[in-house]
Amino acid sequence: MTGTSPHGRADRRSAGELESEVLAALWATEQALTPAEIQAEIGGGLAYNTVHTILRRLYDKGLVLRDVAGRRGTYRPAKNAAELTAEAMHQALDRGPDPIAALQQFVTGLSPEEERALRDLLGGSGP
Amino acid sequence: MRIDVYIPLVLSLLLTTVAPQVGLRVAPALATRVLTVAAVLTAAATTWALILLAATLINEAPPVAAEAREDGRRLYEPVPEIIALAAVLALGLIAHRIYRALRTEHATRRTLHRLCEGHPEDTELIVAASPVPQAFAIPATSSAPGRILVTAAMLGALQPAERRVLLAHERAHLTHRHALYAYAVALASAANPLLNPLRSTVTYLVERWADEQAAEAVGDRSITALALAKAALVAQRPRPACALSFSDRAVTRRIAALQSTPPPYLWSIAAPVLALGVLPALGAVDATRDLLDLLEHVLV
Repeated sequence: MTGTSPHGRADRRSAGELESEVLAALWATEQALTPAEIQAEIGGGLAYNTVHTILRRLYDKGLVLRDVAGRRGTYRPAKNAAELTAEAMHQALDRGPDPIAALQQFVTGLSPEEERALRDLLGGSGP
Repeated sequence: MRIDVYIPLVLSLLLTTVAPQVGLRVAPALATRVLTVAAVLTAAATTWALILLAATLINEAPPVAAEAREDGRRLYEPVPEIIALAAVLALGLIAHRIYRALRTEHATRRTLHRLCEGHPEDTELIVAASPVPQAFAIPATSSAPGRILVTAAMLGALQPAERRVLLAHERAHLTHRHALYAYAVALASAANPLLNPLRSTVTYLVERWADEQAAEAVGDRSITALALAKAALVAQRPRPACALSFSDRAVTRRIAALQSTPPPYLWSIAAPVLALGVLPALGAVDATRDLLDLLEHVLV
């Protein structure tokens, strides 16, 4: 069902991984997205049908909402569980660095000169 | 016994000294494995050596001493009493440090469990609707699978390809059970504080390992490096009441590593490191035999 991309990558991603990618794409933007928009956003030659199937699965799990903001056929992430998680995370962060500092975080702190070096690396295209 | 018992201490210093070099030259997957195994063996050996030193105090135990006096035997003392007493003290300290490490781990597990509440069991990604850019892996437990937690702020700051790098990086932590390595070296350095620097080396190496896996998954080292740089910069900005700016240059070093070719699986370096871990264990075994001889001498 998964299409092949010019790089032949899409077929290497499992259903679970694709689900994460679709959910991440929906969370990354403020707007509700149609399956076609998500397909374009994710890229990698993912078939439209695949995107559709993943969205239906996410909908069944209650992780996304359908037809929101007056736009038919669009999807938006459901916020309830995500807000509870954010609350729990903030509590853990406030309580002290221990529980989360002990984890393998994606990135950690930078010194000012490191920050300059990274901005140079991004060549102004950065945030 | 006299020398054997001190060998583990010297070797743990040696191991700590070479660890950063190993991390630079050897593929992070291999380096993490051998350093962790060596650390655990060394910590076990040093702890055992302390137990042996403490056990020599048995000479002083009243029944043994009294019996020896009756027989008119002179007791053989392998180590000065003061050292044996110091060993007892050190063992108490170690027990306390291990207890603390276990408690920290337990607290972390509980916190992480709370973060997963309300999310369906069979989804890999947990999003937190938070303005704090943050991402980490939640290791699997006996009752729950591993998850990836990313905040909305972090997802919003990255381009699609960069989000794939982030997901692949955290996924690598889960598939390769990096939390176990981190836990193992945490316990090892609790038992042997000399190994503390090695713990940060391993912490850094599992990040490198996950970076390499992510680069492989997306098929592009430079995008992986860019994703790291971007994530580091957004995570940098708003740090509300967060005192943990342990700036150990880790991110810039990781980016630099991604900009060069991946280090090879160099067994010529990895094997001696493993040997460094095995030697203290052998020393400990030898010392044990000496002590058993001694006990035989004392008790029979």
